[in-house]
Amino acid sequence: MLCFRATVRPLLIALATASTLGLPPGDGWAAATASPRSTTHTVVIDSLRFDPQVLRVKAGDTIVWVNHDPFPHTVTAEGKSFDSHEIAPGRSWKYTARKAGEFAYACVLHPTMKATLRVE
Amino acid sequence: MRLIGVVIATSLCLTTAAAAAEGPNDAQIAAIVVTANQVDIDAGKLAASRSHTKDVKEFAERMIVDHTGVNKSAVELVTKLKVTPQDNPTSQSLKSGGEQNLRNLKGLEGAAFDKAYVDHEVAYHEQVLDAMDKVLIPSAKNAELKALLVKVRPAFVAHLEHAKRIQAPLAGKS
Repeated sequence: MLCFRATVRPLLIALATASTLGLPPGDGWAAATASPRSTTHTVVIDSLRFDPQVLRVKAGDTIVWVNHDPFPHTVTAEGKSFDSHEIAPGRSWKYTARKAGEFAYACVLHPTMKATLRVE
Repeated sequence: MRLIGVVIATSLCLTTAAAAAEGPNDAQIAAIVVTANQVDIDAGKLAASRSHTKDVKEFAERMIVDHTGVNKSAVELVTKLKVTPQDNPTSQSLKSGGEQNLRNLKGLEGAAFDKAYVDHEVAYHEQVLDAMDKVLIPSAKNAELKALLVKVRPAFVAHLEHAKRIQAPLAGKS
């Protein structure tokens, strides 16, 4: 019993510290707390291309854009209804789509990079 | 201006042709990649500080950031692969071409500077893309080095298109 407490307590302290520090929860946590119908989608940015080029999601879904290039990119909708600003190499940007519609977006730093988000 | 572009293009063509005949090894390709990026970073730094035109300054900033990022990836990869970049006629030609470009640009101001910088950027990116397609990508032996070249190629295409887009309004201004 003593042995059990000794191993469990540091774990509890670690968990408590993580939550009080407000550390960003991982994907598993987000999935568990989000509404059961919402989904998280990923768009990979690689070699100056958004993949997939056209993404269909439901209103309330979250989209994560991950930058795999060695330089920054942006995810900027026409009319700026959403704008990531610069996403550094290896970093990502998350957006929850609330409004239905078709949103053409591009990277303002590399305007040849274009894609579409369809929110249904 | 046009003459300088032609001279640079010719020297790069000749050396890439020579390199193609022998085929550069991975250590030489690494030196070519690092030098090609560095030359464009240096020109970008000069243009970012000297140009007064918004489009030209933004383009120059993009060249600095993107080519610095590509070089960081290239250096990380060659370090991991334990490849030491090896100087060769193509990397030396790129370096001397870059120095010549800087010397020329430092003697210019205003619209003449903008035009000379952007004209050179168009010629430079065309030549680097040509070298990538005909020499560097086909010659790269290591799969990761080849993959890096393929991965960053679209950046050079985007830069060339960007340079051409801002080149047209500058024509006839100097």
